[in-house]
Amino acid sequence: MEEVLKRFAEISTDPYTSLIEWKEKTGKKIVGCFPMRIPEEIIHAAGMLPVVMWRGNEAVTLGHSYVHNFNCGLTRSFIDDVMRGKMDFMDGMIFYRSCLQAEEVPSTIELNAPPHHFLYLYLPPLYPGKAFGDFVIHELKRLKENVEQWSGQEITTDSLNNSIEIYNKNRSLLKKIYELRKKKPGTIKAREMLTIVHSGMLMDKEEHNRLLERLLPELEGKKETPNGKIRVVLAGSLCQTPHTVILDLIEEAGMVVVDDDIYVGSRYFANEVIPGGDPMEALADRYMKRLPPDPTMGDWKTLWTDYMVDKVKENNAQGIISLLIKYCPPHLCYYPDIRRRFDKEDIPEIMIEVEHEVVSIEQTRTRLQAFMEVIKGGA
Amino acid sequence: MAQEFTINRLETTRLIGPMVDEHWKELREAKQKGEKVAWCSGVPFIFAYAMDMKCHFMAGYSAYCAGRKAGERVLEIAENTGELPDTCSYHRLHMGMAEAVKNGIPVREDVILPIPDLMIAGRVCPEMSHYAEALYRKFGIDVVGIDLITPYQESDYPFLEKYLEQQFKEILIPKMEEVCGKPFNYERMSQILTVLKKTATLRNECLEYFKKVPSPWTLWDYGVSLAPVIYLMGKPETVPYYEKLKAELEERSKNNESAILPEEKHRVFWDGWLPWGFLGHFARKITSYGANPISGRYPWEMFPRPDLIEPELDPVRTYVKALYTGSMLGNNMAKPGLSLVSEIVPEYHIDGIIFFTAKSCRIWKSQLTVLEKMERKYGIPGVTLEADMADQKMFSEAQIDTRLNAFFEVLEARKEKKRWM
Repeated sequence: MEEVLKRFAEISTDPYTSLIEWKEKTGKKIVGCFPMRIPEEIIHAAGMLPVVMWRGNEAVTLGHSYVHNFNCGLTRSFIDDVMRGKMDFMDGMIFYRSCLQAEEVPSTIELNAPPHHFLYLYLPPLYPGKAFGDFVIHELKRLKENVEQWSGQEITTDSLNNSIEIYNKNRSLLKKIYELRKKKPGTIKAREMLTIVHSGMLMDKEEHNRLLERLLPELEGKKETPNGKIRVVLAGSLCQTPHTVILDLIEEAGMVVVDDDIYVGSRYFANEVIPGGDPMEALADRYMKRLPPDPTMGDWKTLWTDYMVDKVKENNAQGIISLLIKYCPPHLCYYPDIRRRFDKEDIPEIMIEVEHEVVSIEQTRTRLQAFMEVIKGGA
Repeated sequence: MAQEFTINRLETTRLIGPMVDEHWKELREAKQKGEKVAWCSGVPFIFAYAMDMKCHFMAGYSAYCAGRKAGERVLEIAENTGELPDTCSYHRLHMGMAEAVKNGIPVREDVILPIPDLMIAGRVCPEMSHYAEALYRKFGIDVVGIDLITPYQESDYPFLEKYLEQQFKEILIPKMEEVCGKPFNYERMSQILTVLKKTATLRNECLEYFKKVPSPWTLWDYGVSLAPVIYLMGKPETVPYYEKLKAELEERSKNNESAILPEEKHRVFWDGWLPWGFLGHFARKITSYGANPISGRYPWEMFPRPDLIEPELDPVRTYVKALYTGSMLGNNMAKPGLSLVSEIVPEYHIDGIIFFTAKSCRIWKSQLTVLEKMERKYGIPGVTLEADMADQKMFSEAQIDTRLNAFFEVLEARKEKKRWM
């Protein structure tokens, strides 16, 4: 178990080395996808490796000349990595607009350090109306045509169905691990859970599946240690990883994470692609799913706050921690409603702002300790 | 003693205030008259106008509110109701105003907005959707969503036009018919477009005067003259406004009269939003260097190709064409924007570029790249100024002054070098 977790942590903290090694070994192309909405299966079916763009571990340096410091961590860090040549191994990059900050990245890269293959998609919001469903299909077809050209390999119904099966298996394995954590909280640390999910975004999915299959029985066999810790749910961190040090601080303060509603977490694998019909339509159907609610998607009727409250209640959690990425517009615009709703429900909630370079460890620790005391006091 | 510069104000621009005031007054009083009201982000407000529905325009209202110096109070109300300071200031302005009206919190009479019956969320940027979503959650206000994509590149226009036309025809028009209880008035839309075409054509003729050295007007003058080619669209008085403006510019031009007195020393390009909350403040600062901001991407967005508007044909299709093929929706994006700035710099004899960056709005893409490319291509200096469209708290006087001083020093030095060479 330790070996597998160590491997996941290595990949999550240094994807550059493992991806370069993978490329040298396989001779295949690597395509970076902007987080959240790009169906990786299509790229996989073309015989390439899709990876989800990430926020690196280093402070932004050269990137300052290309992007304002009031952009979020992921956009600044990724641009910085590209400008420093750290992403030169990526053969292609695919972008779309999930927010205004995300829109800053593609043109900055294409105009300064264009990758060999480049695609900008217009993935629509989930507004009511046929036009939006039609346009999802239009854009997924454009994606398919482009990646076929890049790889020189036609995507057949069979190859796409095969990729869907591999990705669905990955989702199902991750779900099992999450179910285990719910039953036996504390058997997997929050930091470990993050690297389990994150590594899967940065490596060959079949290899990730094999490692998850090794990990699962070992986790199942692990005994629960009753600890009486405060049960909390994490929410937010919409398209990027939160700092693992924040996750450690949560646990050090005497809390245990029982579930989450974060992107590098349960949101990544929440929906499977329903197989059976036309695979492109099946992928479009997954795109159009309204749960988990995504505040970047303009769906005003499906309340994110309902989903969060349900998450807290179904997990018998005692509080929720909002991880708000500094300068994240969709989360900023939604946050006042989140705050009001949890006040109304009388569920303790705390917002921790996550910046790329700076983690005010002592301040965060104090706030988390105070949060825990509030929960204990109310219990 | 340093030379003192002043702006030689135009007479015609004094006429704009009453026109704009009347628009917002009509909106404020609509509910008392039993009329329906919409709030709209982006350009779909024409569909409400065509149905004789009073409609606000999100960016126009924000500019008006901030320009009237009422923004600070409304932003304070927003903050008191939980809005976070990094959030788009236009979003916060609307949240604050809705809270004020719903809960009877006092704000200045002249900036009050009535609570709408319908939110038309034109998603030019996602925040323009988020504010409508938030008002639905808060007050249950009806929303119709339109994906007004800003195009990444010119080659995408054909399929984006098809997508937008489908949304207007299948989603927005039926919704307007449902809300207003009558068939959509295509004829009225054509009439509005006919007036817009005339006004925007005259406006383009006025823009030509910016090419003259010295320029007879400033971007500040044009900034306050934007409403007739955007949210005052279709009002008959917009045509005589631009006719008068053109005549005044022609007169000045004949006399070689400069907009900056005693002389136009520098011609600068102003990129990004106009700083509505601090327009006078910035105008005085820039003028003190003898500089005239004579063009910019944002003002150039307002229906720059009126020749493409053909009101006698399908008004919806021609409107969509004006938005994409007519280069209206893409100028804030880096690739279409870079083409525009590249054209403007030599055509308007630009000496330097000021990029205004709004901390709470990232709609202007890859500004630092566009700036660097222009500096290299034309050998002119550039500077970025960080502030906001409306939020005073994001404005740092010392930082702006330091950067402007450095910028104009470099600009002077380069000009000297050019003369000497």
